[in-house]
Amino acid sequence: MDLDTLSARLSALEQSGLGAIRAAGDPDALDAVHVAYLGRRGELKTLLGGIGALPGPDRPKVGAIGNAVREALEAALEARRRELGAAALDARLAREAVDVTLPGRPVRRGSLHPLIETNREIARIFGQFGFVVYEGPEVETDVRNFQALNIPPDHPARDLWDTLYTDVPGYLLRTHTSPGQIHVMQRAAPPIRALLPGRCFRYEAVDASHGFEFFQVEGLMVDEGTTMADLRGLLDAFAQAMFGRGRPTRFRPGYYPFTEPSVAFDVQCVVCDGRGCASCKRTGWMTILGAGMVHPVVLRNGGLDPERYQGFAFGLGTDRIAILRYGIDDIRMFLENDLRFLEQF
Amino acid sequence: MRVPLSWLGDYVDVDLTPEALADRLTLLGMEVQGIERRGIDWQRVVVGELLTVEPHPGSDHLLVTTVRTGPAEPVLTVLTGASNVAAGQRVPVAVPGAVLPGGRRIEVTRMAGRESQGMLCSGDELGLTTDADGILILPPDAPVGVAMADLFGDVVLDVDVKPNRGDALSLIGLAREVAAATGARVRWPEIALEETGPAVESRVAVEVLDERLCPRFVARLVDGVTVGPSSLRVQARLTAAGVRPVSNVVDASNYVMLELGKPTHTFDAAGIAGGRIVVRPARTGERLETLDHVVRDLTPETLLIADPAGPLSIAGVMGGASSEVGMATRTVVIESAVFDPVAIRRAAHHYALRSEASLRFEKGQETRLARIGADRVAQLVAAWAGGSVAPGRVDTAPAEPEPARLPFRPSRVSGLLGTTIRVDAIRDLLARVDVRTEPARPGDVVPVATGFPGVPLDGAAAAEALVAIVPTHRRDMEIEADVTEEVARVLGYDRVPGRLPETPMPEYRPDPRRTVDDVRDALAGRGLDEVVTHALVGPLDHERIGIAGDDPATIRVTNPLSAEHSQLRRSLLPGLVRVLVENERQRRVDLSLFEIGHVHDLVDGVPVERAVLGILLAGDQAGVAWNQAARPADLWEVRGLVTALCARLGALRPTAARPGTVASYEHPGRTATLLVAGPDGGVDAVLGRVFQPHPAYLEAAEVRSTHVAVALLDLDVLQAAIPAVRRYVPFPRVPAVERDLAIVVGDGTAAGEVERVVRDAAAPLLRTLRLFDVYAGAPLAPGERSLAFRLTLQSPERTLTDEEIDATVGRVVDALRTRLGAHIRA
Ligand SMILES: [Zn+2]
Repeated sequence: MDLDTLSARLSALEQSGLGAIRAAGDPDALDAVHVAYLGRRGELKTLLGGIGALPGPDRPKVGAIGNAVREALEAALEARRRELGAAALDARLAREAVDVTLPGRPVRRGSLHPLIETNREIARIFGQFGFVVYEGPEVETDVRNFQALNIPPDHPARDLWDTLYTDVPGYLLRTHTSPGQIHVMQRAAPPIRALLPGRCFRYEAVDASHGFEFFQVEGLMVDEGTTMADLRGLLDAFAQAMFGRGRPTRFRPGYYPFTEPSVAFDVQCVVCDGRGCASCKRTGWMTILGAGMVHPVVLRNGGLDPERYQGFAFGLGTDRIAILRYGIDDIRMFLENDLRFLEQF
Repeated sequence: MRVPLSWLGDYVDVDLTPEALADRLTLLGMEVQGIERRGIDWQRVVVGELLTVEPHPGSDHLLVTTVRTGPAEPVLTVLTGASNVAAGQRVPVAVPGAVLPGGRRIEVTRMAGRESQGMLCSGDELGLTTDADGILILPPDAPVGVAMADLFGDVVLDVDVKPNRGDALSLIGLAREVAAATGARVRWPEIALEETGPAVESRVAVEVLDERLCPRFVARLVDGVTVGPSSLRVQARLTAAGVRPVSNVVDASNYVMLELGKPTHTFDAAGIAGGRIVVRPARTGERLETLDHVVRDLTPETLLIADPAGPLSIAGVMGGASSEVGMATRTVVIESAVFDPVAIRRAAHHYALRSEASLRFEKGQETRLARIGADRVAQLVAAWAGGSVAPGRVDTAPAEPEPARLPFRPSRVSGLLGTTIRVDAIRDLLARVDVRTEPARPGDVVPVATGFPGVPLDGAAAAEALVAIVPTHRRDMEIEADVTEEVARVLGYDRVPGRLPETPMPEYRPDPRRTVDDVRDALAGRGLDEVVTHALVGPLDHERIGIAGDDPATIRVTNPLSAEHSQLRRSLLPGLVRVLVENERQRRVDLSLFEIGHVHDLVDGVPVERAVLGILLAGDQAGVAWNQAARPADLWEVRGLVTALCARLGALRPTAARPGTVASYEHPGRTATLLVAGPDGGVDAVLGRVFQPHPAYLEAAEVRSTHVAVALLDLDVLQAAIPAVRRYVPFPRVPAVERDLAIVVGDGTAAGEVERVVRDAAAPLLRTLRLFDVYAGAPLAPGERSLAFRLTLQSPERTLTDEEIDATVGRVVDALRTRLGAHIRA
């Protein structure tokens, strides 16, 4: 075999190999082509085996041609392999396609009760001003619920709280969180900044705005020189945090036997922005809490000297705040626990 | 207190709209809770003159009248069923098209064949008086054709007078408040009496047995009265103020109660034996028929007005029938007394007879009003019912106290309010509520807290202090802070500036709600809905969970609103089940709920509260969908939830044990007690129970779902099991080894026991233990089951040798055999 013949055959081999590579339809066929042309017993090796019969000076030429053929085939193999891989992936992706508009697998969302969340929010806001949380019992003594709060037995102010009494002598269901003031003063020394959230009870017929069980948060701050201006400042900050910046507030006189002076704290009606509506009885204001400077007798009963210490207390109705916050029109929803209600929180 | 503004105008001039007046009073502490416009709903009701009144030919109870309602108006023919009308009278006529209170429309109608062009109105139909029996007969000078609303319309303010301000439960008291707000002057009614005949002492004698219960008793006598209805004006005023007109004599008493805040009582003198009145406590066995014609057994705590023959009335609460003023009464004895507020309050409560009078008595009465009230009632009785007032008064304690001196420090007023108010401003503000001020003297004592010693003023302090001269009607002003309140409310609370406190912060205190909130967040995060149920439940709720109605550990409400809410809950279960039932009624049957609340027990006579976490799962827990199968709630679901919750909170893994006893509401085969290691690693504490409720309980509670699972956990135990600080434990870098053991035990051996034995024996190399299969059946013998556990063994420091692994497994196998009689399945 001479040089030209060998060259021609190598060229033919390249052409047939490239054709076989193009014709290979899957990775297995491509591998077979690889083995057939470039394998240890492949056609290229076999052809180049005849190199020894050539004259010495022709051998390197044939070697160079052979290498070029190999590289061309290998490059074509690699390109075809990538082509086939991409096609296979495309086919798989096509097979895996789904209706992406089908709904996701159901996961229960869960909810937190709006009353308890409102209590937490109240505690968060006052917590920023150093108020710490205490707890008092739901079943209270008459002494702490009334007497220590400057409401002796047979005091006409008892009419302000329609009380549920228990069959345990001396105990009743607390009508407000205010007995917590006594608990805190007896447990902690000034400076005191305390919050007492809790469930309260009253003998009250149930309607859209009344219930016999409801929640309150009591606030108490006592130190030398705590003033009503401090109370006003904190309540204003609270109203801003809870009902938005710039909402007007006002103090007006109130009455509680355990504060002197006593005030009611109003915020501009969140329903009508002060224009007057049914929710605010056309006054443009909504009372959100009662407050006042702790009565000196209550300080005394808490073990503090009213000549030295003064402070304020307030009682927030959690239900009322929650109603305003979430736009609920009937407080009975809170204890009915209808899922259609709960799922909104 | 209902305040007709036309009446209030007798005592003070008001140049404000009702709304503006209401606002001023509210900002002064007299909260106006409503403004009622009386007459606004008398549309097209006018004064008419009856021209003729004749029987209806076709009816024996109807009258045919003709009415003139104005010179230019046609004469109307109006039929009426009332019989008190006569030609010449003036009456209210609702002409066709009129609308009466309640939205009742008046049109031309036919009655027994005759046309009626409108309606003659009773006082009750207009809400003007309470008389519904006859047509309202107007005064003869009522101008024909004028709208009734223009003549008798009024604006009534509903003022919430606080319990400490009994003095303001009166028109004169509220006139004082108006004056304080506007600077107007208060006009007292002119009280002038013409006295004739024998002196009162010759007709009436009064003896008070206990002056503490009746510090003052004033009596007057009016002779020769003619009892009848009061004038329309008086009736309209009383009705507007919410008091039912009775007769001119009784109305005079009620009128003065509203005018001056002084409750009085009028007796028919003929009913007082010998004219001798004795004020004394009731004697055991005494009875009295009160004005409401109920015969009442009197208790010895009851203060009585009596005569030598027996009780006449319950002092300050209600009169007696035997001395009631009636049509035949000729002579009236007026009682105007001051009683012990507590005695009156107790009696009013005891007999459930709380009245306008008792409400005022129990707030305390100004002493001098006893005299003034007696005079005023006598004046009005004589004016309205005729007769002559007997000269003088019987008065058991004529001395009247001077205004009280109340030393106070202006600096404290400013110091409490947090804003500086000048001393002369303080004096001016107090003057507006009739509180004069004068300089204090050394030795004056500032009352700081009622019932505690005051602060004496030395020379320097006295020089800066003032004394408030408190008018006798202000019984509420006792201490220095009360002066501050007066200053603040007259000044206006909006003058108190708002600022954030600059005083020291309190010590750090751990938030007791922290764990509760962590639990709530964790459970809501796992898809549970938080509920809040009633702390008050019913006996039936308790009986269903096996707590008898008379269980001594149940705390009961003695005055419940309903039996359904009459006991403090001993368990959260009834409330949670109720939520389930209510939602099932709304076709919401797949629920996962939790509640954190207190349960109550009576322990050794003392109420004890425990915080409890209740979880209730019902129905499908997975959320069945096109790509997900349902997973009905069961014991394992709730157990897994509790395990995950404990792990999330950092608490030790609770272990389950078969319960010693099973409650009636628990499924006997599907109830586990959960235990956690005690806080100091000591004895296990009972965390609570996980269970499926007993089917009989679910049925009794009307639950529809048969797939319900519950956890009731003691929150204090859970909290104690949570470490204060979580410590990081380095995880071993060396490979772990897994060994599976199929442990064959008898049916009676609980998996929890097996697990416990494995854990004990495999320590300290055991890192995790997982039960991955439970099998019963061939080739196992009947009564046997196989529990397949995967043990992961690992040393913190190094790779375990085969010998170490085999030794651990060997210990486990030995322990299982010796302690539980178990063997390993090959
Ligand atoms: Zn509004």
